[in-house]
Amino acid sequence: MSDQTNGDPLARLGTDAETGETMIELQELTKRFPGQETPAVDRLSLSIPKGEIVVFVGPSGCGKTTSLKMINRIIEPSSGHIIIDGEDVTDIDPNHLRRRIGYVIQQIGLFPHIRIAENVATVPHLLGWDKDRTRERVDELLDVVGLPPEQYRERFPKELSGGQRQRVGGARALAADPPVLLMDEPFGAIAPITRTRLQNEFLRLQTELQKTICFVTHDIDEAIKMGDRIAILQEGSRVAQFATPEEILTHPANDFVEDFVGTGATLKRLKLTRVKEVEPTEALTGRVDEDRETLRQRFDASDWTAMLLLDRENKPLRWLRGPDLRQQDRPLEKAGVRTRALVEPQATLSDALEEMLLGAAGVAIVVDRRGAYRGLLDIDAIITSIQTMKDAQAEYYRAAKLADPEDEVPA
Amino acid sequence: MTFFTEYLADPRTRDALFEQTLEHIYLTAVPVGMAVVIGLFLGILAHRSPQLRSPILSVVSTFLTIPSLALFAILIPIVGIGATPAIIALTLYALLPIVRNTVSGLFSVDRAVVESAKGMGMSATMRLWKIELPNAWPVMLAGVRVATLLTIGIAAIAALVGGPGLGQEIFTGIRRIPATGSLESLLGGTLFIVILAVLFDLFYLAIGRLTIPRGIRE
Repeated sequence: MSDQTNGDPLARLGTDAETGETMIELQELTKRFPGQETPAVDRLSLSIPKGEIVVFVGPSGCGKTTSLKMINRIIEPSSGHIIIDGEDVTDIDPNHLRRRIGYVIQQIGLFPHIRIAENVATVPHLLGWDKDRTRERVDELLDVVGLPPEQYRERFPKELSGGQRQRVGGARALAADPPVLLMDEPFGAIAPITRTRLQNEFLRLQTELQKTICFVTHDIDEAIKMGDRIAILQEGSRVAQFATPEEILTHPANDFVEDFVGTGATLKRLKLTRVKEVEPTEALTGRVDEDRETLRQRFDASDWTAMLLLDRENKPLRWLRGPDLRQQDRPLEKAGVRTRALVEPQATLSDALEEMLLGAAGVAIVVDRRGAYRGLLDIDAIITSIQTMKDAQAEYYRAAKLADPEDEVPA
Repeated sequence: MTFFTEYLADPRTRDALFEQTLEHIYLTAVPVGMAVVIGLFLGILAHRSPQLRSPILSVVSTFLTIPSLALFAILIPIVGIGATPAIIALTLYALLPIVRNTVSGLFSVDRAVVESAKGMGMSATMRLWKIELPNAWPVMLAGVRVATLLTIGIAAIAALVGGPGLGQEIFTGIRRIPATGSLESLLGGTLFIVILAVLFDLFYLAIGRLTIPRGIRE
């Protein structure tokens, strides 16, 4: 693989799995489909570190899905080896192998004739778990993916929305707690708003679960957001670059990577920074259980044009302006305008920017996973963040003496 | 019209009709049952193996193009007269809708569903019994229903080769035309066949209600 990586020593920094052990090792993995001259996957070698999300991304037909499906041998490799957790699994019974690997596909493939609980229990059944243990695990997982078990356990897949189905798909893949997950465009068929939310929830979950995940997408933006590491694949699954998202955006290994990452790299970099990495500013807040007069005094004493009203659990309720506080005719919960543009710490700055532009207030409210208020994010914070990244990049090019005067970013 | 006042009022006619109805049920259920077993096997085979698919479908289609009277007659020298040639012939006729619907039912199962079953580590046999057949079942059941209605109709002709069933009453009528009562016999046999067909249809409706999983019901 090293011959395909960029020769630039700086660019190679961090491309080797410098910490931790390797969970999945692909050695010279090759797939030739009958009747095709060139192999779909040509001697792919890759080390996937334990506990990381590695994204395979590339143009359609590059062999990324075939590569993924060879790991659990849904597609049998023509040659080469797959080593999982130190064990060569190239020739073991594929059914036993697959019970140890979670598998999520774009079309989800829930079993339509059985209930949600039975869908989730598929692998535990295959492994011969007893009834109580299975049931307990199913409920736990439905909870984890945000579907209250008592409400969803007995439903059928057709009674769920696309996003809910993919949650069940995820729960089903996690059922027997496999160390490895394979995900083939898991969010590809889901409406954009739901997709962003599922991606964020998935990332939050991963910080707890620490699974080793192979994730296929054709969308570089998704790759940048989801991946701890990205393998950019060219035709025949040849690795154009295998590096962290930061590396790929700032130091693309070659023209192919640069073209694939494409224009708007600055906007894409917003996907690298999460809301939690930016210090939120404090808003002027008031709680719904406070006296209206107290709130009004606090408002008048400040130079804010609006006050954020929180409910008893500190969840944002309304934006109140001066007149809303002075008029007595409406309860506070009904006054002002409804708060929108809520973002979780796990969301990227790009998500936050989008919310800001949608919401009328021009700011995003940062909330924790229970929906309680944490702070405000305004457009200045995002601009500062972009500037920092640009400076870092300009610094790099100056250091590498690669800077084209036209590319110079004015400081 | 003396159909209701004399023909059906006569207890002997009624007894004969009921007995022939029972025979007719037998003449339908046995071939359909055998065709289900053979058709299921052939259908799964045709779905699995692209090489065998078109030979199997061609052969079972060919059966249905042989005129029933000819097929009954061909079988008589081999297995004699009576119910046996009828049962064999009717089984062959019932195969086409069952095989065809088994194949198309299995093909109608979402590929993603089968792939995810495979990805969970289900063996081919488990996938067939637990995933593919239950999801193909509504289409397969529709095939069995068509096969049954087809068989009820064709079974009437079995009377011509000495077979049992309501066909006997119909042919008694045909033979006696234009004698008095011939039309009544013809009508009586036909009416009971139609009633039988409706009852079978209701039976399949109930079977569908009971056996099609709620998750895939329309």
